[in-house]
Amino acid sequence: MTIVLADPPCKGDNGFCAPGTDSFMFKPLVEWEWLNIHFQITKITILVWISVVLLIVLLLAAVRNPKIVPERGQWMAESVYGLVRNNIAEDMIGHEGLRFAPYLATLFCFILVTNIWGIIPVAQISPNAHIAYPAFLAIISWLMFNIVGIRKHGAKKYFGDILFMPGVPKVMYILLTPIEFISTLIVRPITLAVRLFANMFAGHLLLLVFTLGTTYLLSVHNFSKIFALPSFLMTILLTFFELFIEILQAYVFVVLTASYLQGALAEEH
Amino acid sequence: MPEAPKPPDRRGDAGVGWAVLSTLLAGILVWGGIGWLIDLWLHTWVGIVVGMLVGFAGAIYLIIRKYGN
Repeated sequence: MTIVLADPPCKGDNGFCAPGTDSFMFKPLVEWEWLNIHFQITKITILVWISVVLLIVLLLAAVRNPKIVPERGQWMAESVYGLVRNNIAEDMIGHEGLRFAPYLATLFCFILVTNIWGIIPVAQISPNAHIAYPAFLAIISWLMFNIVGIRKHGAKKYFGDILFMPGVPKVMYILLTPIEFISTLIVRPITLAVRLFANMFAGHLLLLVFTLGTTYLLSVHNFSKIFALPSFLMTILLTFFELFIEILQAYVFVVLTASYLQGALAEEH
Repeated sequence: MPEAPKPPDRRGDAGVGWAVLSTLLAGILVWGGIGWLIDLWLHTWVGIVVGMLVGFAGAIYLIIRKYGN
């Protein structure tokens, strides 16, 4: 059962309270004003803080006393880092990609842990279901691949190659340059952020629909009561499905960041 | 001793699918948008349709040049 710290969205009606965007807004635990900006500490903020502390503690503990034959914690940390380093950084970007392995691994761990809050009892929501977190991660990745590209090729050649694809008749640039500009510099970061956000948002809504559905169906006094069982089973099923999506989306975000880095570093790119 | 087969170069494979999608999207959006602005300006209605088709064609051309062969 979800412990929702948000108000139920229904007013006046005794029917089923469908979850909506209100389900993502939590009562601030602390709030203050500073420079006309309204600051709030909510459940989401707390979850992000816990994620960061958890990652630091677990990873430090895993490598504090490294052994040649690793114990479980060290083995797990090394597996995750190895996966990102070998299967993403090196395979996709090449030898040059190794220097991005720490960033990509950090990104993977952070997104993974923040995503998995979506199915942890009591937490039951991923901070990434708020667009701000995926958007900020996407901005970091966007800045990174552009800066890496500019540093490698120089701004003129880097943007020149993006906007004016080599080996194309000059007239075609009128048609192609706007498309290239939008798709590389604008659509890329937006899709990166929205993909993660929308997956976590939809996942939370799905779980809410079936958990709230179960409790609502149990409360009715007619034949419909029996449908509480399939609704409950769907909740269980979707929880496992969400676990899969949460891991997959962390992986996809990192793979795409690596592919953008590869594109920025490539000779012709 | 036979030479071990070289592993295929799969570099950036995963990104290509998304790159194709974002190029198509950008093509239709950009030229559809330009067509729509022309429609607003000239009070016509064909601009957005022509724009989207032109953008689509441009995106396909780009994709073939970039990821074809």
